Amino acid sequence: MEGFFQALAAGLLIGAVYGLMCVGLGLIFGVMRVINFAHGDFMMLGMYTAFYLFTAAGVQATFGNTVGPFVAILLAGPVLAVFGYFVHRALISHVSGTRTASLEGEGHYAQLILTLGIALILQNGGLIVFGSVLASIRTPLSSSAWELGPFFDMSIFLNKARSIDMVVSLAIMILLSLLITRTRIGKSLRAAADNPTAATYMGIDVDRAHRTAFALGCGITAIAGGLLATNYPFHPFVGLEYVIVMYAGVVLGGMGSIIGAFWGGMTIGLVQQMSTLILPTQLQNAAIFAVFLLIIFFRPQGFFGRMVERT
Amino acid sequence: MLRIEGLSAGYSAKPVLNDVSINVGAGEFVAIVGPNGAGKTTLFKTISGIVKPSGGAITFDGVDLLAVPPPQRAHLGIAHVPEGRQVFPSLTVMENLEMGAMTESGRRDWQANIERIFEWLPVLKERRDQFAGTMSGGQQQMLAIGRGLASSPKLLMLDEPSMGLAPSTADFIFERLIEIRRQAGLTMLLVEQRVAEALESADHGYVLEAGHVVLQGNNATLRADDRVRKAYLGM
Repeated sequence: MEGFFQALAAGLLIGAVYGLMCVGLGLIFGVMRVINFAHGDFMMLGMYTAFYLFTAAGVQATFGNTVGPFVAILLAGPVLAVFGYFVHRALISHVSGTRTASLEGEGHYAQLILTLGIALILQNGGLIVFGSVLASIRTPLSSSAWELGPFFDMSIFLNKARSIDMVVSLAIMILLSLLITRTRIGKSLRAAADNPTAATYMGIDVDRAHRTAFALGCGITAIAGGLLATNYPFHPFVGLEYVIVMYAGVVLGGMGSIIGAFWGGMTIGLVQQMSTLILPTQLQNAAIFAVFLLIIFFRPQGFFGRMVERT
Repeated sequence: MLRIEGLSAGYSAKPVLNDVSINVGAGEFVAIVGPNGAGKTTLFKTISGIVKPSGGAITFDGVDLLAVPPPQRAHLGIAHVPEGRQVFPSLTVMENLEMGAMTESGRRDWQANIERIFEWLPVLKERRDQFAGTMSGGQQQMLAIGRGLASSPKLLMLDEPSMGLAPSTADFIFERLIEIRRQAGLTMLLVEQRVAEALESADHGYVLEAGHVVLQGNNATLRADDRVRKAYLGM
């Protein structure tokens, strides 16, 4: 019983961060309909950015070992957003948006090849620049825990770093939902996603909306990556490990649903942690995909997806 | 206000519009009628910038429209109510109207506009918090019109507002349009397959066939024309 609740708590903590990571990808897919294979590698860049901001750029010296990592992680968001903005401007915009609206397959073939190419460049470029040694953003919080309880003779231990990760994830998620549902920019992003042509008729610059979504998506996933890096060591090819989880989360949540992507990621975190109760750790990913297939079998549109295609 | 001169446009190599010239004066209600595939929707898409023309010129209020990037054209005062309604399905009625009011004038006049739109099309007020995608075709058409009006347009372009609607609904929408125009003094450019209704209320009409303007005139001339009577009015 104690093991069950411990796994549930661990699943919720990691699930919130996975959720945030999936939202970054879900935002890009939802607004632009571009399948970004390089998204895991943008996250890898986010991890290294947070790492170097912390260790080399003086964040550690200024904010110390406890607060410092989280400051660096939050700063990595805007850095990657700017990077994403320019990647979109220089590369992605040539194969997406209004330029390809009239092309066969809406430019999806070119998008696949381009984002795969970006992924390869980032991975191997990362290997050259950062080296192959495992890096990690260590904070004293990573190896200490809060004790909840005891309730009925059992207590649950919450890793401090992961708990703060979850709080940061939820805060960003709430801010993003407010941005998407309440603000003019958010509404125009949704309009551009629903119907790019009609959005143009309204005077919305669809390409600019795409650029905003891409930058936001990169920034959000970079922060999620930094949060993961407080507990998991990383390397230049780490994106490959996570990009699969990201796609599973986005599909589970329902393609095109931004909030759904969060719950998709949450589900994956829960399944991953709960599976350790009955399966060896090596089978975590197998468990994720068994549950994934099961959910998709019964609900092919995902949690929040709609069966109707956009007009 | 809108002057189209010698416009040719098409998709890839296939021309859809051939040397089309159309003039819409301020305050006028101009109807373009013609059979399916005549190029009516392509004409509207070219005005809005979704289709690039291969020749000709479009000026709006003295501005060379073809030099204006497509998303900027709405800001000049052109509201396009597209074929098939094309409301934003996952946005609420109110949010759809807000998207219509992205232009500067739409933002400035938002309060007054929204009151007038709700008065003209009360169903939008009743359903203001409903997702547009869950409404009926007729309601979506009214929303599309309301969304166009929310921008405080100088020119309202309507692409087949009766398409796919029950005749009684289409009649109702037509009446509303006439009433809106009477009260607001809007300049309107209408594309329609319901030729009789369109020509009855328009000041001026154009008949577009296979990408050419084959006939034009004021409504009396057109309705008296033998070809129009035979081909479109069934007389």
